[in-house]
Amino acid sequence: MKIKIYILVLLLVGFQFKSVAQEQKMSENEIVAFKQSVAVVSKKIKTLSTDFVQYKHLDFLSKDIETSGKMIFKEPNLLLWQYKKPYSYSIVFKNGKILINDEGKKSAVDIGNSKLFGKINKLIVGSVSGDLFDDKEFSITYFKSKDQNVTKFIPKDVTLKKYIKQIELTFDKTDATVVQVKLLESSADFTRIVLKNKVINAKVDEASFTN
Amino acid sequence: MKLLLRISSILILVLSSCATNKVVKDYKAVPLEKSSLEVTYFSDPTIDYVYKANITVYGKELTGIFIAKKINDTTHRVVLTTEFGNKLLDFEISETDFKVNFILEELDRKMLINTLVTDFRLLLRSHYNIIDQYENDENTVYLALDKSRINHLFVSKSTNRLSQIVHSSKRKEKIKLFFTAKNNIFAENIVIQHQNIKLKIELNYFNQQAN
Repeated sequence: MKIKIYILVLLLVGFQFKSVAQEQKMSENEIVAFKQSVAVVSKKIKTLSTDFVQYKHLDFLSKDIETSGKMIFKEPNLLLWQYKKPYSYSIVFKNGKILINDEGKKSAVDIGNSKLFGKINKLIVGSVSGDLFDDKEFSITYFKSKDQNVTKFIPKDVTLKKYIKQIELTFDKTDATVVQVKLLESSADFTRIVLKNKVINAKVDEASFTN
Repeated sequence: MKLLLRISSILILVLSSCATNKVVKDYKAVPLEKSSLEVTYFSDPTIDYVYKANITVYGKELTGIFIAKKINDTTHRVVLTTEFGNKLLDFEISETDFKVNFILEELDRKMLINTLVTDFRLLLRSHYNIIDQYENDENTVYLALDKSRINHLFVSKSTNRLSQIVHSSKRKEKIKLFFTAKNNIFAENIVIQHQNIKLKIELNYFNQQAN
Protein backbone atom coordinates (compact mmCIF):
# COMPACT_ATOMS: atom_id res chain seq x y z
CA MET A 1 0.00 0.00 0.00
CA LYS A 2 2.74 2.36 1.04
CA ILE A 3 4.74 1.59 -2.08
CA LYS A 4 1.71 2.08 -4.26
CA ILE A 5 1.17 5.53 -2.79
CA TYR A 6 4.80 6.40 -3.35
CA ILE A 7 4.60 5.23 -6.92
CA LEU A 8 1.51 7.31 -7.43
CA VAL A 9 3.28 10.30 -5.96
CA LEU A 10 5.97 9.75 -8.48
CA LEU A 11 3.73 9.44 -11.38
CA LEU A 12 1.87 12.50 -10.50
CA VAL A 13 4.94 14.46 -9.87
CA GLY A 14 6.32 13.28 -13.13
CA PHE A 15 6.56 16.53 -14.97
CA GLN A 16 10.11 18.88 -16.41
CA PHE A 17 12.18 21.09 -19.26
CA LYS A 18 15.47 22.34 -20.77
CA SER A 19 16.58 25.93 -20.72
CA VAL A 20 15.35 28.16 -23.46
CA ALA A 21 18.07 29.78 -25.49
CA GLN A 22 19.03 33.37 -24.64
CA GLU A 23 17.34 33.38 -21.27
CA GLN A 24 17.76 36.52 -19.23
CA LYS A 25 16.85 37.15 -15.64
CA MET A 26 13.79 39.35 -15.16
CA SER A 27 14.09 42.59 -13.24
CA GLU A 28 12.03 43.13 -10.06
CA ASN A 29 9.50 45.25 -11.95
CA GLU A 30 9.19 42.66 -14.70
CA ILE A 31 8.56 39.94 -12.11
CA VAL A 32 5.74 41.94 -10.53
CA ALA A 33 4.12 42.63 -13.91
CA PHE A 34 4.55 39.03 -15.07
CA LYS A 35 3.04 37.54 -11.90
CA GLN A 36 0.14 39.91 -12.15
CA SER A 37 -0.65 38.97 -15.75
CA VAL A 38 -0.50 35.25 -14.93
CA ALA A 39 -2.69 35.75 -11.86
CA VAL A 40 -5.32 37.57 -13.93
CA VAL A 41 -5.47 34.68 -16.40
CA SER A 42 -5.35 31.83 -13.88
CA LYS A 43 -8.02 33.38 -11.61
CA LYS A 44 -10.45 33.27 -14.49
CA ILE A 45 -9.97 29.53 -14.98
CA LYS A 46 -13.04 27.51 -13.95
CA THR A 47 -12.35 24.64 -16.33
CA LEU A 48 -9.41 23.87 -18.51
CA SER A 49 -8.82 21.17 -21.08
CA THR A 50 -5.71 20.67 -23.12
CA ASP A 51 -3.92 18.14 -25.30
CA PHE A 52 -0.37 17.32 -24.35
CA VAL A 53 2.69 15.60 -25.72
CA GLN A 54 5.13 14.20 -23.20
CA TYR A 55 8.80 13.74 -24.08
CA LYS A 56 10.82 11.62 -21.71
CA HIS A 57 14.48 12.44 -22.16
CA LEU A 58 17.08 9.95 -21.01
CA ASP A 59 20.61 10.80 -22.04
CA PHE A 60 21.53 7.29 -23.19
CA LEU A 61 18.58 6.91 -25.57
CA SER A 62 18.79 7.87 -29.23
CA LYS A 63 15.47 9.69 -29.03
CA ASP A 64 12.97 10.87 -26.44
CA ILE A 65 10.09 8.58 -25.53
CA GLU A 66 6.95 10.25 -26.78
CA THR A 67 3.50 9.74 -25.28
CA SER A 68 0.44 11.93 -25.67
CA GLY A 69 -3.08 12.53 -24.45
CA LYS A 70 -5.47 14.93 -22.82
CA MET A 71 -5.86 16.71 -19.50
CA ILE A 72 -9.08 18.16 -18.06
CA PHE A 73 -9.45 20.24 -14.90
CA LYS A 74 -12.57 21.50 -13.25
CA GLU A 75 -12.76 23.70 -10.18
CA PRO A 76 -12.18 23.16 -7.32
CA ASN A 77 -10.21 19.93 -7.64
CA LEU A 78 -11.39 17.51 -10.30
CA LEU A 79 -8.55 16.41 -12.50
CA LEU A 80 -8.17 13.93 -15.35
CA TRP A 81 -4.80 13.06 -16.83
CA GLN A 82 -5.19 10.70 -19.77
CA TYR A 83 -2.64 9.07 -22.07
CA LYS A 84 -4.06 7.97 -25.40
CA LYS A 85 -0.98 7.11 -27.41
CA PRO A 86 0.75 4.73 -27.67
CA TYR A 87 -1.29 3.18 -24.86
CA SER A 88 -4.41 4.04 -22.96
CA TYR A 89 -3.86 4.97 -19.32
CA SER A 90 -5.72 7.52 -17.27
CA ILE A 91 -5.76 8.82 -13.76
CA VAL A 92 -8.49 10.87 -12.05
CA PHE A 93 -8.36 12.90 -8.83
CA LYS A 94 -11.78 12.97 -7.29
CA ASN A 95 -13.15 13.33 -3.74
CA GLY A 96 -9.93 12.31 -2.01
CA LYS A 97 -9.47 9.33 -4.29
CA ILE A 98 -7.22 8.51 -7.19
CA LEU A 99 -8.88 6.40 -9.86
CA ILE A 100 -6.69 4.61 -12.36
CA ASN A 101 -7.73 3.02 -15.63
CA ASP A 102 -4.95 1.03 -17.26
CA GLU A 103 -6.16 -0.28 -20.63
CA GLY A 104 -9.55 -1.02 -19.06
CA LYS A 105 -8.12 -2.42 -15.84
CA LYS A 106 -9.45 -0.20 -13.05
CA SER A 107 -8.14 0.48 -9.59
CA ALA A 108 -8.56 3.12 -6.89
CA VAL A 109 -6.43 4.48 -4.10
CA ASP A 110 -7.89 6.34 -1.16
CA ILE A 111 -5.63 9.26 -0.44
CA GLY A 112 -7.81 10.63 2.36
CA ASN A 113 -6.43 13.84 3.72
CA SER A 114 -2.85 13.22 2.62
CA LYS A 115 -1.08 16.57 2.70
CA LEU A 116 1.40 15.44 0.09
CA PHE A 117 -1.36 14.54 -2.34
CA GLY A 118 -3.01 17.87 -1.73
CA LYS A 119 0.27 19.46 -2.72
CA ILE A 120 0.62 17.32 -5.82
CA ASN A 121 -2.91 18.02 -6.98
CA LYS A 122 -2.21 21.71 -6.50
CA LEU A 123 1.09 21.31 -8.29
CA ILE A 124 -0.41 19.71 -11.40
CA VAL A 125 -3.24 22.20 -11.64
CA GLY A 126 -0.85 25.04 -10.83
CA SER A 127 1.60 23.85 -13.48
CA VAL A 128 -1.01 23.90 -16.17
CA SER A 129 -2.84 27.04 -15.08
CA GLY A 130 0.33 28.89 -14.12
CA ASP A 131 -0.79 29.52 -10.56
CA LEU A 132 2.21 28.12 -8.76
CA PHE A 133 3.78 31.20 -7.24
CA ASP A 134 3.91 30.10 -3.64
CA ASP A 135 7.12 31.30 -2.02
CA LYS A 136 6.49 29.12 1.02
CA GLU A 137 6.56 25.97 -1.14
CA PHE A 138 9.20 26.86 -3.72
CA SER A 139 12.30 28.94 -4.31
CA ILE A 140 11.33 30.71 -7.51
CA THR A 141 13.47 32.37 -10.17
CA TYR A 142 12.22 34.29 -13.22
CA PHE A 143 13.64 34.45 -16.74
CA LYS A 144 12.60 35.89 -20.07
CA SER A 145 13.43 35.26 -23.71
CA LYS A 146 12.09 36.85 -26.88
CA ASP A 147 8.67 35.18 -26.96
CA GLN A 148 8.49 33.42 -23.65
CA ASN A 149 8.78 33.78 -19.92
CA VAL A 150 10.27 30.95 -17.90
CA THR A 151 9.89 30.36 -14.19
CA LYS A 152 11.93 27.83 -12.26
CA PHE A 153 10.57 26.31 -9.07
CA ILE A 154 12.70 24.40 -6.60
CA PRO A 155 10.58 22.58 -4.00
CA LYS A 156 11.20 23.37 -0.33
CA ASP A 157 9.25 20.38 0.96
CA VAL A 158 11.74 17.60 1.80
CA THR A 159 9.46 14.80 0.60
CA LEU A 160 8.54 16.55 -2.62
CA LYS A 161 12.18 17.35 -3.22
CA LYS A 162 13.04 13.65 -3.33
CA TYR A 163 10.92 13.28 -6.44
CA ILE A 164 11.42 16.57 -8.22
CA LYS A 165 14.61 18.56 -8.39
CA GLN A 166 13.09 21.44 -10.28
CA ILE A 167 9.95 22.40 -12.19
CA GLU A 168 10.16 24.81 -15.10
CA LEU A 169 7.09 26.46 -16.51
CA THR A 170 7.26 28.21 -19.85
CA PHE A 171 4.65 30.90 -20.52
CA ASP A 172 3.62 32.37 -23.82
CA LYS A 173 4.31 36.10 -23.60
CA THR A 174 1.21 37.20 -25.43
CA ASP A 175 -1.51 35.34 -23.50
CA ALA A 176 0.34 34.54 -20.24
CA THR A 177 -0.62 30.85 -20.32
CA VAL A 178 1.62 27.84 -19.76
CA VAL A 179 2.87 26.20 -22.95
CA GLN A 180 5.39 23.82 -21.47
CA VAL A 181 6.05 22.05 -18.18
CA LYS A 182 9.42 20.52 -17.54
CA LEU A 183 10.33 18.35 -14.60
CA LEU A 184 13.98 17.76 -13.90
CA GLU A 185 15.22 14.70 -12.11
CA SER A 186 18.36 14.67 -10.05
CA SER A 187 20.45 13.68 -13.06
CA ALA A 188 20.47 15.28 -16.50
CA ASP A 189 17.28 13.39 -17.35
CA PHE A 190 13.95 15.14 -17.55
CA THR A 191 10.33 14.97 -18.65
CA ARG A 192 9.03 17.73 -20.90
CA ILE A 193 5.32 18.20 -21.43
CA VAL A 194 4.12 20.45 -24.23
CA LEU A 195 0.55 21.72 -23.92
CA LYS A 196 -1.49 22.55 -26.98
CA ASN A 197 -5.08 23.18 -28.09
CA LYS A 198 -5.86 24.63 -24.69
CA VAL A 199 -9.48 25.52 -24.03
CA ILE A 200 -10.39 27.61 -21.01
CA ASN A 201 -13.84 27.67 -19.38
CA ALA A 202 -15.63 25.49 -21.91
CA LYS A 203 -18.42 23.39 -20.40
CA VAL A 204 -16.91 20.29 -18.83
CA ASP A 205 -19.14 17.36 -17.96
CA GLU A 206 -18.72 15.66 -14.57
CA ALA A 207 -18.77 12.37 -16.46
CA SER A 208 -15.31 13.21 -17.81
CA PHE A 209 -13.98 12.33 -14.38
CA THR A 210 -15.53 8.91 -13.90
CA ASN A 211 -12.63 6.91 -15.35
CA MET B 1 29.17 -46.91 9.87
CA LYS B 2 31.34 -44.13 8.54
CA LEU B 3 31.72 -46.05 5.31
CA LEU B 4 27.99 -46.55 5.07
CA LEU B 5 27.44 -42.86 5.52
CA ARG B 6 29.97 -42.09 2.85
CA ILE B 7 28.42 -44.58 0.41
CA SER B 8 24.94 -43.32 1.03
CA SER B 9 25.98 -39.71 0.54
CA ILE B 10 27.71 -40.62 -2.70
CA LEU B 11 24.63 -42.53 -3.73
CA ILE B 12 22.43 -39.50 -3.01
CA LEU B 13 24.73 -37.29 -5.02
CA VAL B 14 24.73 -39.68 -7.97
CA LEU B 15 21.00 -40.20 -7.81
CA SER B 16 20.19 -36.52 -7.59
CA SER B 17 22.41 -35.67 -10.51
CA CYS B 18 20.68 -38.38 -12.52
CA ALA B 19 17.24 -37.08 -11.55
CA THR B 20 15.18 -36.52 -14.66
CA ASN B 21 14.95 -32.98 -15.84
CA LYS B 22 11.28 -32.20 -15.40
CA VAL B 23 11.24 -29.31 -17.84
CA VAL B 24 11.99 -31.56 -20.79
CA LYS B 25 10.46 -34.77 -19.49
CA ASP B 26 8.07 -35.06 -22.43
CA TYR B 27 10.80 -34.26 -24.93
CA LYS B 28 13.18 -36.58 -26.74
CA ALA B 29 16.95 -36.14 -26.32
CA VAL B 30 18.68 -35.56 -29.63
CA PRO B 31 22.35 -35.03 -30.59
CA LEU B 32 23.65 -31.45 -30.32
CA GLU B 33 23.28 -29.51 -33.55
CA LYS B 34 25.19 -26.49 -32.36
CA SER B 35 27.35 -25.47 -29.47
CA SER B 36 25.93 -21.99 -29.03
CA LEU B 37 22.71 -20.04 -29.49
CA GLU B 38 22.28 -16.33 -30.14
CA VAL B 39 19.16 -14.47 -29.02
CA THR B 40 18.69 -11.19 -30.83
CA TYR B 41 15.63 -9.60 -29.16
CA PHE B 42 17.62 -6.96 -27.24
CA SER B 43 20.89 -7.06 -29.12
CA ASP B 44 20.74 -4.14 -31.56
CA PRO B 45 22.69 -1.21 -30.05
CA THR B 46 20.92 1.28 -32.33
CA ILE B 47 17.45 0.46 -30.97
CA ASP B 48 15.81 1.98 -27.88
CA TYR B 49 13.73 -0.94 -26.63
CA VAL B 50 10.68 0.68 -25.00
CA TYR B 51 7.86 -1.30 -23.39
CA LYS B 52 4.77 -0.62 -21.32
CA ALA B 53 5.33 -2.61 -18.15
CA ASN B 54 2.77 -4.21 -15.85
CA ILE B 55 4.20 -5.73 -12.72
CA THR B 56 2.06 -7.84 -10.42
CA VAL B 57 3.69 -8.56 -7.10
CA TYR B 58 1.78 -10.43 -4.39
CA GLY B 59 -1.52 -9.17 -5.77
CA LYS B 60 -0.38 -5.57 -6.09
CA GLU B 61 -0.12 -3.97 -9.48
CA LEU B 62 2.54 -1.51 -10.59
CA THR B 63 2.68 -0.07 -14.05
CA GLY B 64 5.19 2.01 -15.92
CA ILE B 65 7.60 2.15 -18.82
CA PHE B 66 10.46 -0.31 -19.26
CA ILE B 67 13.43 0.86 -21.31
CA ALA B 68 16.46 -1.22 -22.33
CA LYS B 69 19.40 -0.35 -24.52
CA LYS B 70 22.61 -2.15 -25.35
CA ILE B 71 25.31 0.38 -24.47
CA ASN B 72 28.40 -1.72 -25.26
CA ASP B 73 29.41 -5.30 -26.15
CA THR B 74 28.66 -6.68 -22.73
CA THR B 75 26.25 -4.31 -21.05
CA HIS B 76 22.63 -3.14 -21.20
CA ARG B 77 21.21 -0.06 -19.53
CA VAL B 78 17.78 -0.78 -18.03
CA VAL B 79 15.44 1.91 -16.75
CA LEU B 80 11.96 1.66 -15.29
CA THR B 81 9.88 4.83 -15.07
CA THR B 82 6.29 5.66 -14.21
CA GLU B 83 3.92 6.64 -17.03
CA PHE B 84 4.66 10.24 -16.07
CA GLY B 85 8.34 9.70 -16.67
CA ASN B 86 9.80 9.57 -13.17
CA LYS B 87 12.61 7.11 -12.83
CA LEU B 88 11.98 4.23 -10.47
CA LEU B 89 15.24 2.45 -11.16
CA ASP B 90 18.23 2.67 -13.47
CA PHE B 91 20.59 -0.33 -13.77
CA GLU B 92 23.55 -1.35 -15.91
CA ILE B 93 23.60 -5.11 -16.34
CA SER B 94 26.06 -7.52 -17.94
CA GLU B 95 26.23 -11.32 -17.66
CA THR B 96 28.68 -11.10 -14.79
CA ASP B 97 28.16 -7.70 -13.23
CA PHE B 98 25.59 -5.02 -12.44
CA LYS B 99 25.56 -1.45 -11.28
CA VAL B 100 22.71 0.52 -9.73
CA ASN B 101 22.79 4.05 -11.15
CA PHE B 102 19.60 4.99 -9.37
CA ILE B 103 16.87 3.35 -7.37
CA LEU B 104 14.00 5.00 -5.59
CA GLU B 105 14.51 4.91 -1.84
CA GLU B 106 11.29 2.95 -1.30
CA LEU B 107 12.40 0.21 -3.72
CA ASP B 108 15.95 0.01 -2.44
CA ARG B 109 15.82 -3.52 -1.02
CA LYS B 110 18.59 -5.99 -1.70
CA MET B 111 16.23 -8.89 -2.37
CA LEU B 112 14.17 -6.90 -4.83
CA ILE B 113 17.25 -5.67 -6.67
CA ASN B 114 18.72 -9.18 -6.93
CA THR B 115 15.44 -10.59 -8.19
CA LEU B 116 15.11 -7.91 -10.85
CA VAL B 117 18.75 -8.25 -11.92
CA THR B 118 18.27 -12.01 -12.40
CA ASP B 119 15.11 -11.40 -14.42
CA PHE B 120 16.60 -8.67 -16.58
CA ARG B 121 19.73 -10.71 -17.19
CA LEU B 122 17.63 -13.60 -18.50
CA LEU B 123 15.65 -11.18 -20.59
CA LEU B 124 18.63 -9.40 -22.14
CA ARG B 125 21.18 -12.17 -22.50
CA SER B 126 22.11 -12.86 -26.09
CA HIS B 127 24.69 -15.65 -26.02
CA TYR B 128 24.26 -19.18 -24.65
CA ASN B 129 26.66 -22.15 -24.69
CA ILE B 130 24.55 -25.22 -25.35
CA ILE B 131 25.20 -28.48 -23.46
CA ASP B 132 22.15 -30.57 -24.36
CA GLN B 133 19.38 -30.65 -26.88
CA TYR B 134 15.83 -32.03 -26.83
CA GLU B 135 12.85 -31.81 -29.15
CA ASN B 136 9.24 -32.64 -29.83
CA ASP B 137 7.11 -31.90 -32.90
CA GLU B 138 6.83 -28.15 -32.16
CA ASN B 139 9.98 -27.10 -30.37
CA THR B 140 13.67 -27.65 -30.10
CA VAL B 141 14.88 -27.16 -26.54
CA TYR B 142 18.48 -26.12 -25.93
CA LEU B 143 19.97 -26.46 -22.47
CA ALA B 144 22.58 -24.02 -21.22
CA LEU B 145 24.26 -23.88 -17.82
CA ASP B 146 23.80 -20.72 -15.78
CA LYS B 147 26.03 -21.13 -12.71
CA SER B 148 24.21 -23.78 -10.64
CA ARG B 149 21.04 -23.32 -12.67
CA ILE B 150 19.96 -24.42 -16.13
CA ASN B 151 18.35 -22.31 -18.84
CA HIS B 152 16.03 -24.17 -21.18
CA LEU B 153 15.63 -22.31 -24.43
CA PHE B 154 12.55 -23.25 -26.42
CA VAL B 155 12.87 -22.46 -30.11
CA SER B 156 9.76 -22.91 -32.24
CA LYS B 157 10.36 -25.21 -35.19
CA SER B 158 7.89 -23.36 -37.39
CA THR B 159 9.31 -19.85 -36.88
CA ASN B 160 12.84 -20.68 -35.73
CA ARG B 161 12.43 -18.04 -32.99
CA LEU B 162 12.93 -18.23 -29.25
CA SER B 163 9.50 -18.54 -27.62
CA GLN B 164 10.27 -19.47 -24.04
CA ILE B 165 13.06 -19.66 -21.47
CA VAL B 166 12.71 -21.82 -18.39
CA HIS B 167 15.27 -21.00 -15.73
CA SER B 168 15.43 -23.91 -13.29
CA SER B 169 17.45 -25.63 -10.63
CA LYS B 170 18.09 -29.34 -11.15
CA ARG B 171 14.68 -30.13 -9.71
CA LYS B 172 12.47 -27.07 -9.86
CA GLU B 173 11.39 -24.46 -12.33
CA LYS B 174 12.21 -21.00 -10.96
CA ILE B 175 11.42 -18.45 -13.66
CA LYS B 176 9.67 -18.69 -17.01
CA LEU B 177 9.94 -16.14 -19.77
CA PHE B 178 7.51 -16.15 -22.68
CA PHE B 179 8.27 -14.27 -25.88
CA THR B 180 5.85 -13.35 -28.64
CA ALA B 181 7.69 -12.05 -31.67
CA LYS B 182 6.99 -11.39 -35.34
CA ASN B 183 10.66 -10.81 -36.15
CA ASN B 184 14.11 -11.38 -34.70
CA ILE B 185 14.75 -7.72 -33.86
CA PHE B 186 12.40 -7.40 -30.90
CA ALA B 187 9.63 -9.30 -29.12
CA GLU B 188 6.24 -7.55 -29.01
CA ASN B 189 5.11 -9.18 -25.83
CA ILE B 190 7.18 -10.67 -23.03
CA VAL B 191 5.98 -12.26 -19.81
CA ILE B 192 8.36 -13.02 -16.95
CA GLN B 193 6.61 -15.38 -14.57
CA HIS B 194 8.18 -16.46 -11.31
CA GLN B 195 7.30 -19.96 -10.12
CA ASN B 196 8.31 -19.67 -6.46
CA ILE B 197 7.27 -16.10 -5.62
CA LYS B 198 4.18 -14.22 -6.69
CA LEU B 199 5.82 -11.97 -9.22
CA LYS B 200 4.87 -11.45 -12.83
CA ILE B 201 6.27 -8.85 -15.20
CA GLU B 202 4.51 -8.24 -18.49
CA LEU B 203 6.09 -6.09 -21.19
CA ASN B 204 4.36 -4.79 -24.30
CA TYR B 205 6.47 -3.12 -26.96
CA PHE B 206 5.26 0.28 -27.98
CA ASN B 207 5.89 1.74 -31.30
CA GLN B 208 6.58 5.44 -30.92
CA GLN B 209 6.07 5.99 -34.64
CA ALA B 210 2.39 5.44 -33.88
CA ASN B 211 2.17 8.91 -32.38
